[in-house]
Amino acid sequence: MSHGAEAMEPVRGEAADGVTLRGWAVDPGAGREGAAEIIVAGGRLERLTWLTDAAADGIGPEGTLIVPGLVDLHAHFREPGNEDAETIATGVAAAGHGGFTTVCLMPNTTPATDDPAVVARVRAAAGASGSPVRVLIHGAVTTGRKGETLAPLGELADAGVVGFSDDGAPVRSAAMLRNALLYAGALGLPVIDHPEDPTLTEGAEASEGYVATVLGLKGWPVAAEAGAVARAIAILGDVVRDEPRARLHLTHVSTAAALAHVRAAKAAGLPVTCDVTPHHIGFADEWIAGSRRWAWEALDERSGVRDPWADGSLVAGAYDPALRVNPPLRPAADTAACLNALADGTADAIATDHAPHTEVDKHVEFGLAANGISGIETAIGIVLAAVEAGGLSLGRAIEALTTGPARVLGERLDHAPGLRTGEPADLVVIDRGASWTVSADSLRSKGRNTPLLGRELRGVVRLTIAAGRIAYEAG
Amino acid sequence: MTIEAARPEAASSGPLPWHHRHLLDVDVLTRDDLELVMRTADEMRDVLARPIPKVPTLRGTSVTILFYEASTRTRVSFEVAAKNLSADVVNIAAASSSVSKGESLVDTVRTIEALGADMLVMRHSVSGAPYLAAEVFGGSVLNGGDGWHAHPSQALLDLYTLRGALPGGSLEGLKVVILGDALHSRVARSNVWTLTAMGADLWLCGPSTLLRGFDAWASRGAAGRRFTVTSDVDAALRDADVVMALRIQRERMASGLLPSLREYAARYGLTRERLRRAKPDVVVMHPGPMNEGVEIAADVATDPRSVITTQVTNGVAVRMALLYLLAGARDGGSGR
Repeated sequence: MSHGAEAMEPVRGEAADGVTLRGWAVDPGAGREGAAEIIVAGGRLERLTWLTDAAADGIGPEGTLIVPGLVDLHAHFREPGNEDAETIATGVAAAGHGGFTTVCLMPNTTPATDDPAVVARVRAAAGASGSPVRVLIHGAVTTGRKGETLAPLGELADAGVVGFSDDGAPVRSAAMLRNALLYAGALGLPVIDHPEDPTLTEGAEASEGYVATVLGLKGWPVAAEAGAVARAIAILGDVVRDEPRARLHLTHVSTAAALAHVRAAKAAGLPVTCDVTPHHIGFADEWIAGSRRWAWEALDERSGVRDPWADGSLVAGAYDPALRVNPPLRPAADTAACLNALADGTADAIATDHAPHTEVDKHVEFGLAANGISGIETAIGIVLAAVEAGGLSLGRAIEALTTGPARVLGERLDHAPGLRTGEPADLVVIDRGASWTVSADSLRSKGRNTPLLGRELRGVVRLTIAAGRIAYEAG
Repeated sequence: MTIEAARPEAASSGPLPWHHRHLLDVDVLTRDDLELVMRTADEMRDVLARPIPKVPTLRGTSVTILFYEASTRTRVSFEVAAKNLSADVVNIAAASSSVSKGESLVDTVRTIEALGADMLVMRHSVSGAPYLAAEVFGGSVLNGGDGWHAHPSQALLDLYTLRGALPGGSLEGLKVVILGDALHSRVARSNVWTLTAMGADLWLCGPSTLLRGFDAWASRGAAGRRFTVTSDVDAALRDADVVMALRIQRERMASGLLPSLREYAARYGLTRERLRRAKPDVVVMHPGPMNEGVEIAADVATDPRSVITTQVTNGVAVRMALLYLLAGARDGGSGR
């Protein structure tokens, strides 16, 4: 097996040339996976040969994977305004290391992306980074993300944004959400809502229930998400009669109750999509108490959610501020619902909600820590762990990281994720058999705020090619 | 007086069977741990009964008391306890330190350590804050109350007081009722662990708005030990052996959790009338400070069956025991 590392030593950003890859290819665009050999020359995917019989010997889905470049609908690169936490340059380096060739940045920068000048500034920083990772931009729904007046959605659309969101906060008023869905719909763009009823979550620290109660953390109730999702869907149902192009995307949905609303809305034919995050799949709320088993290991098929205080699984210190995130980590029944939603198509995509923070903002008391997990480099590892545990098929996992988010973006995405000959190569090589240790040294992101620090993750990204150029190659 | 004078007889040769470097929560304490604290507190009470209630056990040990919240009884109780053991005591009230200039907890704790502290007793309004302190502090951290989460020394002195007040000193099978605002109460949470560990039939009672989340906890139990949660005060008090009333704070009205103090007093206040449902020799407790006439009637607080003043007295002995045990673990032990 070779992926060409010996044959050439391209630097980041150079065209991928003379690369021969052999492994288990997964191409959700073509609905096919199997042993394959891929040759990349002059930046293009020159040849793809599906291998059979003896030629396929030793190649399987447990070894080297070759998949289309991953697409992240939801990341925070903090530039402009908080370059201590992340810059566009460190963000795209982290994306390449995580196997992502396309990232969509949320507009909660300082200033917010509520003006074409900010879009231009972000785009210039992406160009200057030298990385071939595509940086796409979500514009703000409202000016300053304050929920009071509509941002110049038309101008932002002309400047090339791929969606609108007030992420970090929900679109506050129902009237504003309604107007945004109508206006953005006419522009052919989705509104990406962060579903949360803030009147139920003031000061909330952890998912309301057993773990939060024992730890004395203020509860973030399921109803705050389920209610906001139901509201947004009701408004969408109203809006599509006037504007059939209106589209609603719900991001980082984390509860069974909210996913049930999405499932019903999809069954009714409404133009709604949603994503779930790797951390809401992999980490249950018991991690805040000091558990570190995968969320699916916290679930007992007979008796439901396990009790970490009773079964001796509290192995780490409690209240790790790296685990403070919004929406909060959920009990294992909800994490399982997120996996099921991916499996049955209720969830269209896995989005990282990569949220890097500085030590100053994060290495503080749990309840005072900034919300967010630095996750773009560990996403594939968490998802592959879920696949390995049988919670999700490999094909569906890769689909949710490639063609699924591409469908949410629609025609604003300049390529269709897939392994197609004659097109610029856009793919990732992942060694599922190998492991790496998540550490301050191994992360490219400035944000070291991950609860996985010090942990071995299976699934090593060996090579990331974005639009024909090398975005990352293991040394 | 030597260290031996303050050491439980069972452990007078060899190291103490105490393995906790910090005391951040009571969830990690086994029944044996609890018994050891009780026996050690007995020894400390003997010390307190002497003409000069002082032993040199912690001579040369520096104890810093760092309180980010106002407190009188807990802070003074720790200070007296440490001084009775001959420790050097430094008191820091957060409002008068560089904390008010925006220094982080991590930096504050590092500074305290650099100034020579061996033990840190801290009170903080954010749940879990002592865990962050323990991560960076080289000595022992003793949680003096964090947010809604835990108040280990209070739960241990409550346990100690109950053992003294109950015939036979055993809680096994006795009905203990915690009445009031459990949601915001670190005292309630810590008592759930210690009282169920000692075999009590524990009931939490209050308006549903102040019990949110506790049903989820009760159905799992504390490490499997079940307890009962109800808003039915009559059912809770029926044949109770012990009733502990919790403080109600005025902020609860502003956030819509309660209509008024008057309504709370009428429906859940611990009055003589209401106490008739309990056993005749019921033990009445309150962690203080009390709102007399709200969660507890004045005549109940001063009733002969009330041990509220004993709770305060026992606080010193129990805190002496905790400082002593943690100092021993720091010198010879390891682990959490």
